[in-house]
Amino acid sequence: MAAEPRAENDATIKTSGTRPILELHHITKRFPGVLANDDVSVQVAAGEVLALLGENGAGKSTLMNVAYGLLAADSGEIVVEGEVVQIRMPRDAIALRIGMVHQHFMLVEPLTVTENIVLGMEPSGFLGKIDRAAAREKVVEIAKRYGLKVDPDARVGDLSVGMQQRVEILKALYRDARILILDEPTAVLTPQEVDELFQIVRGLVREGLAVVIITHKLDEVMAFSDRIAVMRGGALVGETTPAECSEQSLARMMVGRDVVLRVEKSPVHAGDVVLSVRGLTVLDDRKLEALKGVSLDVRAGEIVGIAGVDGNGQGELIEAIVGLRRPASGTVSMRGKDITHASPDDTIASGVSHVPADRHRRGLVLDFDLVENLALGDHRRPPIGNHGILDRAAMHAMALERIVDYDVRTPNEYVAAANLSGGNQQKLVLARELGRDPDFLIAAQPTRGLDVGAIEFVHRRILAERDSGKGVLLVSMELDEIQSLSDRILVMYEGKVVAEFEGGTVDAEELGIYMTGGSTPSQASLKGGGTDA
Amino acid sequence: MPEAKIGTPAEELDAERRFALEQQRVKRAITIATPFISVVIAMLVGSLVILISGHSPAEAYSAMIGGAFGGWRQIGETLLRATPLIFTGLAVSYGFRAGLFNIGAEGQLFLGGLAAAFVGLQVGGLPPLVSLPIIIFAAFLAGAAWAFIPALMKAKIGAHEVITTMMFSYIGKYLVSYIINGPLRAEGNIPQTTELPIASQLPRISDLLPFVGQNRAHIGIVLGIIAALIVWWVLKYTVMGYEARAVGFNPAAAETAGISVASTTIKSLCISGGLAGLAGAVEVMGVHYRLFDQFSSGFGFTGIAVALLAKNNPFGVILAAILFGSLSAGAGTMQLEAGVSQKVITIIQGTIIFLVGAEMIVTWAVARVRGRKGV
Amino acid sequence: MFAEIVTPELFASAVRLATPIALAAVGASICERSGVTNIAMEGLMLVSAFAGVAVTLLVGNVWVGVFAAIVASVVFASLHAWSSINLRSDQIISATAVNILALGITGFLMETIFGHPGTTDPVKTIPPMYSVPADAGPVWTWIGTVFFSYTPIVYLGMFLAVFLTWALYRTRWGLRLRALGEHPRAADTVGVNVLRGRWYAVLISGAMSGLAGANLTLEQVGSFTENMTNGRGFIALAANIFGRWTPGGAYLASLLFGFADALQLKLQLFSDTINIPSQFFLMLPYVLTVVVLAGVVGKAVAPAAIGKPYKEKG
Repeated sequence: MAAEPRAENDATIKTSGTRPILELHHITKRFPGVLANDDVSVQVAAGEVLALLGENGAGKSTLMNVAYGLLAADSGEIVVEGEVVQIRMPRDAIALRIGMVHQHFMLVEPLTVTENIVLGMEPSGFLGKIDRAAAREKVVEIAKRYGLKVDPDARVGDLSVGMQQRVEILKALYRDARILILDEPTAVLTPQEVDELFQIVRGLVREGLAVVIITHKLDEVMAFSDRIAVMRGGALVGETTPAECSEQSLARMMVGRDVVLRVEKSPVHAGDVVLSVRGLTVLDDRKLEALKGVSLDVRAGEIVGIAGVDGNGQGELIEAIVGLRRPASGTVSMRGKDITHASPDDTIASGVSHVPADRHRRGLVLDFDLVENLALGDHRRPPIGNHGILDRAAMHAMALERIVDYDVRTPNEYVAAANLSGGNQQKLVLARELGRDPDFLIAAQPTRGLDVGAIEFVHRRILAERDSGKGVLLVSMELDEIQSLSDRILVMYEGKVVAEFEGGTVDAEELGIYMTGGSTPSQASLKGGGTDA
Repeated sequence: MPEAKIGTPAEELDAERRFALEQQRVKRAITIATPFISVVIAMLVGSLVILISGHSPAEAYSAMIGGAFGGWRQIGETLLRATPLIFTGLAVSYGFRAGLFNIGAEGQLFLGGLAAAFVGLQVGGLPPLVSLPIIIFAAFLAGAAWAFIPALMKAKIGAHEVITTMMFSYIGKYLVSYIINGPLRAEGNIPQTTELPIASQLPRISDLLPFVGQNRAHIGIVLGIIAALIVWWVLKYTVMGYEARAVGFNPAAAETAGISVASTTIKSLCISGGLAGLAGAVEVMGVHYRLFDQFSSGFGFTGIAVALLAKNNPFGVILAAILFGSLSAGAGTMQLEAGVSQKVITIIQGTIIFLVGAEMIVTWAVARVRGRKGV
Repeated sequence: MFAEIVTPELFASAVRLATPIALAAVGASICERSGVTNIAMEGLMLVSAFAGVAVTLLVGNVWVGVFAAIVASVVFASLHAWSSINLRSDQIISATAVNILALGITGFLMETIFGHPGTTDPVKTIPPMYSVPADAGPVWTWIGTVFFSYTPIVYLGMFLAVFLTWALYRTRWGLRLRALGEHPRAADTVGVNVLRGRWYAVLISGAMSGLAGANLTLEQVGSFTENMTNGRGFIALAANIFGRWTPGGAYLASLLFGFADALQLKLQLFSDTINIPSQFFLMLPYVLTVVVLAGVVGKAVAPAAIGKPYKEKG
């Protein structure tokens, strides 16, 4: 069946010739206050990779969650192999042989790989006793058939992110999926792991599966998809193929205007060392060494970027610097003053500000109003805190000033932070942390989950801090972000700084090699412990 | 600001702001509506129970209202019973504000009563303006001390305060039982302490305002209202109260902002315990003038219902305490006149907790009403 | 004195006193593994203890009483389930409501049915399945008393602890239950019905608490007294934590509390000789609970999703 003409826009309509296995027709899904999917229709055929492209909040995940039965659409229909189907819950999707790998893995960490894979479809006998040998055998067999090496008896919580992703794919294959949806599968992977993933995907497609990849990364879309559907603001704004478009044209479609893919940056004028970390060793919650003797310096007026796969000690490094985690050995100092064992409050007082990676968990008290949120961390010191008493007037004045300075879009200063959008919440955190006028800023994942406009805002603000002579430590999983903002780049792997580069002297591929523990002869300037340049 | 133009176009932006405002309003409406709707439904459940037991709900409730508000004497009885509930309600709600469920307020109340009885006997020679504050302070300290070990265990190793404060509640009751049977036992057949000297007793309102006639209400109710004011002020205008609320809502964010979660937890649970201790003090100093086994009729537990119904608002606590005080004062009359067991008020209490806890019922109702109005 | 205290009867009494706590604790381990905390067991034991006595007096058959106890507890447990699972209310508050409702309803019915507060009329308790003959030798007195002298629900409790441990780790139901308490969304995405799974777990916990209440009044005390559970529901929760959220562990931990209780009862008989007021013995089980929690909590890891309401769809 050929694709029928679409009325949406000027996008070219293409299929790979075969008839679609999954079709979504006119899906509309409304959340309170947001139209997440506005009459969206897409389809995918067996043996092809469809990229669903759009920035954060464009409605891609919502659409696929509808296809997987995790969300109920307000209207529209789903057609699988030419038949209209009802997908009310994941069980229905599984029965129709649809599999989905979620952005946040749906794995039960204390259970084994085999247990996770068979969960919900366990081979079992009398009284529901699980036939563990049969389960393991089946898992091994599937893993072998698709070339997905994984230890069936390992505890999932002990596996690397890349391995966990394989378990997720195996879960779908164990259920005989012929349609596989991958939601932002590369967000947590190194460039090399991304290559491996796409090898796997290619293998699956050769076996006749249909694959839908949800992503916002233009280069990946260009490299690995057969067809591209672009979403913006909940609507489908175009369909194309890699051959017929460029990254620029895709970006325009995705954002709705021309975007600058690179941030403009003035030359670095690094001054004195602001933050100095020496031989820092930190234990994680399981009492294992998460950070192994790390040394680094951040100078005034420079941005030091830390690249690395999540979980290689970046979190512990930040926690140790800001006083949330007690180091086992080593020192941290701010402008020569030792703050190794300082409490979080003393660390703030010494001039350290911290934009936490998880703004909901650590950045904001969502139930507090904006006034109270904007005082967090400043509340003990004048002008707000005077001998244990809060000066509410000063608190209010400070909040208004910060709301205006950082353009927080809010009806008034008394709404709960929970009611603001993600971008505005992040502005709130920035307003507080930068409004304090710190000497040194740690920005962890500062643009996670934000749309392009908000990302630009955050990047500009961070650069402005640097240009006004602050030291900035940027920790991010987004290599693009690291590369475009950093004056120096450190790569962390298994709790150590394994490489150091001047900004602009290294490509993603090379960073990726270090991020996975490899090394290359072309390395720019590897420094054992990563001391100052 | 040039940044104001970045990102979202203006018309979407307004929708965003409108939405935030709307969310806020709905939430506030629900917060205010929940307690009222819950009380109404709970009273209906109560009347159903009365009906099933073969009595007339109308008769029972009118007897109850008469018993609670029928005259100065009855109003005095309502206030008398509301007084300890203000303190336990404040105690439980202060804990809730800091994310702690002080289910063991009853035990802290016992210790507060013990301290009041003990110190009250020692300071009887002093003028009341000196002795009364000393006794009250001692009772606060005793209640706080009784919450200290559970607080420490919560802060340091995460032992759930629901279990530990409950266990301390039992331990406290046996401790009081030992003391009134042993060291502090007065002469006579009944295990109880000696009566407090006049200087250690809280004056009755009728002593100060003779026109209210003979009733048992004492100035503890005024102390309760003052305590509510102080709690409100602490929560809003002190660093400690602000930090307690931050920890209660989101300990991880509070910690990141330089707040010590452990010390806030300890302080908050001890303050909660201290407030519960005051409930014991007003009972000993204002009602019984001595300590004995049964001097509290579960005020600590009713305090949970008071706090929940008040949505942890200190002024709401006063209103909720008066409501439960009137139920308790009217229950006796109801039993006498309508023959309905006064235990029905415990059922009403339980139902209120159930309904306030299940806010979704009310959320759903509010959403429907708003939907009908086309908002 | 040692020989007078350490008798076979001491150990048998420990097992008997442990049983209501153990039954509730084993139920709690199932309930909490599914992600629902249950501090309502205190109230569940109370309603079932009352229902057991009241129905036995009404019908004249103690087994009907046991059945009624289970039903009453399950009905109240379903209130907790409905509120905490479907209405997504705070699980501790919803359980507290159940506890207070149980207190009110048992008190109310007590006065309505028996005409007075306090204690019900007595019922004839279920006899032990075997009693050691008076002329048995010392060895058989020990073995017979410690292992064979119990009432049926005591044995049922032992069997259920073993059976549920097996079921939790070896069956489809157990695997799914553990997934629910750790990562309900993961279970949902592979087609496991989260809400239904949690409902079953709460109801099982309700039935176990019902057995606990029945054991308390119909096998041990023989009558119902207001608020007679005296914190056993909370101790059971502590036992479940001490037993690291496993049915077997919860059972063994309960034995510790039963032993403490048996010991303090025994020691009270000697309170004149050792000159310690009885109140301090009575405190012992509660003090032990606090001590045990202080020693174990930091090390035991609770199910990750415990206490968190689950929302099926957006």
